[in-house]
Amino acid sequence: MSDNTHEHGVHLEILHQILSAATHEASAAMCRWTNGLITMSLDEVREIPLEAVSTEYDFGLDMLTMVVLTLNGEIGGSMILCFDEENGRDLAASLLCSKQRQTGDWTPLERSALCETGNILGCAYLNALTRLMSVDLVPSPPYFLQDYGASVLEQALMEQAALEDKVMICRTRFTRGDQELNWNVFFVPNSQMRQMMEDALHIDA
Amino acid sequence: MTTAEQLNVGLGQIQLARNDEILASILGSCIGVVIYDPQRKIAAFAHVVLPLSGGRPGSPGRFADTAIPAMLQELRNQGANPQQLRAKITGGACMFGNNQMNIGDRNAEEVRRQLKEKKVPLISEDVGGTKGRKVFFSPYTSQMEIVINGVNSTII
Repeated sequence: MSDNTHEHGVHLEILHQILSAATHEASAAMCRWTNGLITMSLDEVREIPLEAVSTEYDFGLDMLTMVVLTLNGEIGGSMILCFDEENGRDLAASLLCSKQRQTGDWTPLERSALCETGNILGCAYLNALTRLMSVDLVPSPPYFLQDYGASVLEQALMEQAALEDKVMICRTRFTRGDQELNWNVFFVPNSQMRQMMEDALHIDA
Repeated sequence: MTTAEQLNVGLGQIQLARNDEILASILGSCIGVVIYDPQRKIAAFAHVVLPLSGGRPGSPGRFADTAIPAMLQELRNQGANPQQLRAKITGGACMFGNNQMNIGDRNAEEVRRQLKEKKVPLISEDVGGTKGRKVFFSPYTSQMEIVINGVNSTII
């Protein structure tokens, strides 16, 4: 293993540790929000060539339901909570104490339930990162989107792609009891955010 | 338009197709540009991510200023008639409801500039907005089908 490859591996491993801690905090918030039903864990922190994103993260050609929070400004990034239709509806029904999953257009109440979920997760995640980096990270209000997953991830990667040949993506998984759910959170920091995380742990570039 | 062999074009990639093969892509703020020869029924599709390479290395499909020359070269290599080439473009949305980097507009602008410089007529375009697009192009019919919101289909 070359020095550069080794150093790169160390950076990713340490970023994984930071983000695991933030995810743990978000998981506790999620567990409280869903009355102990849902937990989450960090699945992976990867850096891959931009051209490999479409094959490594295949969202298919169907529409997904998503809640997006963005961090605008120099230290920026995006957080995307995404579900397929069935899982999104199930979560909304569960949060609204509804016995039956709704169909058709999403009601304002269902949208609000998912946005609040995104808000709780995002704030818990960013609070953990704020403490680590000693900077204020204030996300946008969460917004509800129904669109193609690949098109949303593509937009989130733009800031990184403008500066780097490889992009960093963090993916989180959710479980209900022992059952893995078809939900994910994608966290895409911009280059300044990533640098700040590394600096916070005194990693020499 | 989905029964023939479908070739997916990912971020920063360039893909060629002939006859009844279908080029497919999902686009957000990126631009999907197709250059095609309607007589020989051959087409190249680039999923352009950023407007200018600034000398950066990487796949030519990633940047508008490197994608267009690479597509033209590849089409010539595959026997397309340079005099017959035409183009269609789509994508360039602003997905998150803000004008972050305005990258969709800048991508579209640079693709148009490159096509004009290389004298490839831009036959039609469907760009902008705030929604992602599912796109299919058939070299056989020279038609581009664009689906927004999973249901609303437009042919250009």
